[in-house]
Amino acid sequence: MIARHLAVLGASLRLSFLLAMQYRWDFVLDGVMSIAWTAGAIVPLYLVFEDRAAIAGWTYGEALLVMGWFTLLDGLLKGAINPSLVTVIEQIRNGTLDFVLLKPADAQFLVSTARVHPWRLLSLGASLAIFVYAFRLLGAWPSPGAVLYALATLGAGVLVLYSVWILVISVAFRVVRIDNLRYLFETVFEAGRWPSTVYKGALSIVFTFVIPLALMTTYPAEALLGALEVERFVAGWLGALAFAGLARLVWSRSIAAYTSASS
Amino acid sequence: MRERELVRAVDGVSFAIAPGERVGFLGPNGAGKTTTLKMLAGLLYPSAGRVRVAGHVPQRREAAYLDQIMLVMGQKQQLVWDLPPADTFELNRAVYRVSRADFTARVGELSELLELGDLVKKPTRELSLGERMKCELVAALIHRPKVLFLDEPTIGLDVSTQVKVREFIRDYNARHGATLVLTSHYMDDVAALCPRVIVIDQGRLTFDGALDALVREVRPEKRLTLRLRGAIDEEVLRSLGALIERTEERVVLQVPQDALSAAVSRALAAFDVLDLTVEAAPLEEVMSELFARGRAAREGRADAADAADAADAKEPSE
Repeated sequence: MIARHLAVLGASLRLSFLLAMQYRWDFVLDGVMSIAWTAGAIVPLYLVFEDRAAIAGWTYGEALLVMGWFTLLDGLLKGAINPSLVTVIEQIRNGTLDFVLLKPADAQFLVSTARVHPWRLLSLGASLAIFVYAFRLLGAWPSPGAVLYALATLGAGVLVLYSVWILVISVAFRVVRIDNLRYLFETVFEAGRWPSTVYKGALSIVFTFVIPLALMTTYPAEALLGALEVERFVAGWLGALAFAGLARLVWSRSIAAYTSASS
Repeated sequence: MRERELVRAVDGVSFAIAPGERVGFLGPNGAGKTTTLKMLAGLLYPSAGRVRVAGHVPQRREAAYLDQIMLVMGQKQQLVWDLPPADTFELNRAVYRVSRADFTARVGELSELLELGDLVKKPTRELSLGERMKCELVAALIHRPKVLFLDEPTIGLDVSTQVKVREFIRDYNARHGATLVLTSHYMDDVAALCPRVIVIDQGRLTFDGALDALVREVRPEKRLTLRLRGAIDEEVLRSLGALIERTEERVVLQVPQDALSAAVSRALAAFDVLDLTVEAAPLEEVMSELFARGRAAREGRADAADAADAADAKEPSE
């Protein structure tokens, strides 16, 4: 079972790369643009910190770490998650999802690995550059242990991001057109650029529990700084697993209710 | 929220199909053919009733079941539009875990039978509809399925490609003993491929049996076509059977089966006959008559129901 899915993943990635080569200039441009956007996105952060040392307990260098994780997740979202999402919605619209559902492999897996935009993954390099810049400002490099801890925390964030995306697809099964929902999510996701403690009141609750942006970008940044308690790490993972479980449940129900497009 | 109306797409459809059998679903548009096909494949969950195919409950979509079936739809394609079909074949090889040796042999064999040559290496978007359908068939047969579900596989194809595709499907059935379940608007598809037909009309099974039995049942009359020369006695002509077509020298008559030999000998005696053929009514016509009868029967029922409703309305309520 696992061997089959690994083979499918390989074949699917191969297709994505072949497609990317078909329109390579378009995709290269896309990747370069996304790096330019990342550079541009640092400007507001820089301006905000120009005349004060810290905001909500975060210095410029520390806030840059949040930005670094955001850039990495944004690359993942636009390079690996969104392309599959767009593909699936297209398949629901024209009924070719029938073919996916009749493949002897897990449908959620097939749908999740449907398409990757490899050039978008260039922003992973951009996030690395932000980290280097941030730690030079902070004047201290993180220990390998802190890096591992941060990556482990990020894992929970990625799981949540992925689960939100599965939930979005589940909605698409019922209402077919979900462009606005997608834009809404992307807009909300933008808030993950800033440390979560910047947000007060209702927003802070939403970003911690409803759409846990805090877990995606702020917690990993804190883990790099050695400021994330084990309790919050464990709670984050438990929350992420619950989110994933819920997403899987909703997904299974949506598939069962899927009525396919008429021929 | 949109208002939803519960419609019974399929109701009371029961049948069994033996391994290796070739069965065609017939019915007017929206009759429930594709719904039934999709339930068999496992795409749709029946809200009531039981479906079993090859020992499996299709809607569970277990890998052991999906490994044995394939679905080809004339109006939908699984090939990646911007890549050559060969790349989709590769993806299916991984999904179905076909060994490299089997894969190469099968793709080679299927491509040769379908006369595809190097077309599988051209981007799908550059192929004609017929070429695409042939490649769809290859993509769906790489894992050598035992049950083939074909939903209007020849729709939109030119006649010679239709014939080619039919021959190919038949040949696959003969060589691998695969079961074939087909829906089609083209009677020729059904006539060429399916000894057995199941007629579904308004979600109900109205006939299940041999195609020629269906034709005999709906239209027991034969078509007698005569090419005549010289003077024609109209009275004799009309006494032979129902006149369907009449031109200067060509006459088409509809004659009941048991009166046929008498009619033929009388025609030969009375006229100067250049040519004479006897045929069953064209299938398309048989079908439209069958569906028209179904409609008439339903309208009759609906009228009766309306009358009953009207009677109910007269009863005082609350």
